[in-house]
Amino acid sequence: MFERIDSRSPTPLYAQIATRLRVAIAAGELRAGDSLPSVRQLASQLRINPATVVQAYRDLEAERLVCTRHGSGTVVLEVPDERRESDRAAAAQRLVHDMLVDAGRLGISAGELRAAIDHELNGRNT
Amino acid sequence: MCFAVETRDLRFSPGKGFEISDLNMHVPSGSVYGFLGPNGAGKTTTIRLLLGLLPPSAGSIAVLGEAMPSRHARVMARTGYVPERPHVYPTLTVTEALELHAAFHERWDQAWAGTLLRDFRLPGGRRVGAMSKGETGKLMMLLALAQRPDLLVLDEPTDGLDPVVRRDVLEALLGYVASCNATVLISSHLVHELERICDWIGLMDRGSLIAELPMEQFRGGIKRLAVIDAGEAKEAPFTVLARRPSAAGGEDWLVRGWSSDMRGYFGSHGATLRSVIDLDLEEGFVELLRSFREVA
Amino acid sequence: MSRWLRMWRALLKTQWTWTRGMLLGAAVLVFAMPLLSVRTAAGVDTEVAFIRMVQRWGVGYAIVAGALGLFVAIAAWSSDHRLKHIYALSLPIARWRYVLMRFLAGAVLLLLPMAALLAGAVVASHNASIPATLRAYPFALTFRFLFAALVAYAIVFAVSAGTERTARYILAMIGLFFVAQLVLISVGSHFDLSGHVADVLFARPGLLSVFSGRWSLIDV
Repeated sequence: MFERIDSRSPTPLYAQIATRLRVAIAAGELRAGDSLPSVRQLASQLRINPATVVQAYRDLEAERLVCTRHGSGTVVLEVPDERRESDRAAAAQRLVHDMLVDAGRLGISAGELRAAIDHELNGRNT
Repeated sequence: MCFAVETRDLRFSPGKGFEISDLNMHVPSGSVYGFLGPNGAGKTTTIRLLLGLLPPSAGSIAVLGEAMPSRHARVMARTGYVPERPHVYPTLTVTEALELHAAFHERWDQAWAGTLLRDFRLPGGRRVGAMSKGETGKLMMLLALAQRPDLLVLDEPTDGLDPVVRRDVLEALLGYVASCNATVLISSHLVHELERICDWIGLMDRGSLIAELPMEQFRGGIKRLAVIDAGEAKEAPFTVLARRPSAAGGEDWLVRGWSSDMRGYFGSHGATLRSVIDLDLEEGFVELLRSFREVA
Repeated sequence: MSRWLRMWRALLKTQWTWTRGMLLGAAVLVFAMPLLSVRTAAGVDTEVAFIRMVQRWGVGYAIVAGALGLFVAIAAWSSDHRLKHIYALSLPIARWRYVLMRFLAGAVLLLLPMAALLAGAVVASHNASIPATLRAYPFALTFRFLFAALVAYAIVFAVSAGTERTARYILAMIGLFFVAQLVLISVGSHFDLSGHVADVLFARPGLLSVFSGRWSLIDV
């Protein structure tokens, strides 16, 4: 799930992890009642500082997406559908923003980008 | 803040190499402190000074709250050490080496040692001297971890190890840190590895600690700006570390202390800021080093 | 208290691992020597001749004792030397305690060949071929052997425990001694340097006097 975590990206690692989990919850990959991996497990698995994982989980807890109970780990909470929709929309917006930044750096115009998106989507539909 | 390692005006003159002078190092408790620096900067010497393997010429050292090297025995009981070169007796077997280490460390966790032996796939009956570099590296990490230390001092623990072994070693290390809130002082060449696991960075060059700061400050702090039509950098609100002509035209500026509301500076000076790029740890480290050396 | 004992036993175990071959070999040897010495002396006519035959083996005891002390001391430190003492210095124990533990471990290991010698000497003492007017001194022989081994062990241990620099100084001193001897010979001087040194060391009450003199199982 966390294969794309990139320590070189300007986004801090904890934010990347939190975002990935947010998307997973919004998309239904993680359902209410599912347990997130323990801090120890995830830090060890991804070979990152445990404090990073702790911060990601804390951020999600502040957004009431998960709940950490001492002894039983971190569990996904029931998320209302509107909340899930708005989370998905925010994730989509973020994807587009990043894409536009990259495109800008490469000198690709908005029109070229739109054409490319249409081409890709048509390819997927067939 | 509580410090697991603290030095004050530490000084030492090795036979050859850079003299260590006025070293003021602070490793916060519970942190993973990355010790970076080019070869010969004095990282291994500093580590040896911290652990009482070398006598300092001047200054004070405190490890886990105790003065070194006088409280050496007490400190080493709570400190796991993985040195640059394997320090385990080569004529003993793995099992014998474990038994010896266990006898000297009261907090030895035999159950966990057994688990790590299995996870690391180390053969108990093999002589240490006959093992490969990867196996020796894993054994040394095993010995340091199974004694359940409060502080881990690791001198290039993954140097020369293949990626699979490196992964195994780091997984065990981080698993321990997560469960026990131990402090880790790790020196390494593998900057990308440090980037993921460290929350503090200490940069050493030519016997001096040139920078010591939290990881986000370091990474967020130094940026590369692509500037066109740049004139002189008069009264800039940020520090310009370096300016170099860019292959894509214009200049690359290396700056510290940048924040996004400073964009207006360029417009007011008739220049254009094309992009702001974050540097990863390795690039930032190289640039910081270069800027310090240019000044000195 | 048990903490130190546990550490010492672990060190003892490593030193046993490093020296068990030579200790067992020496044990077999010194067990056989008293028996063989009496066997070779059997059948001579006079008591004086009997004593002289047994005494011929005396040099052997001195050599084995010295060699055992030497090699057990070297073995105690060779692994640490190879690792530049880093492992030993990173252990949670004061340096002097560590050195003391290693010393005691080696000394205890020397008890094994000593016990073998005692066994052999006691058995040899009951040999029927010993003339009735002579007596056997198995215990005296054994303790002298142990003492000699310990003296050799202590000296070499002290040298080995030092840093490489100390060892180099000592070797340099020995080398200087030989050079001085050569110089004296070449200028035609009759000053017997080695004789004087030998007197100082080996004659009573010299440092190494235990090695010289008569090592005899059987005496009057």
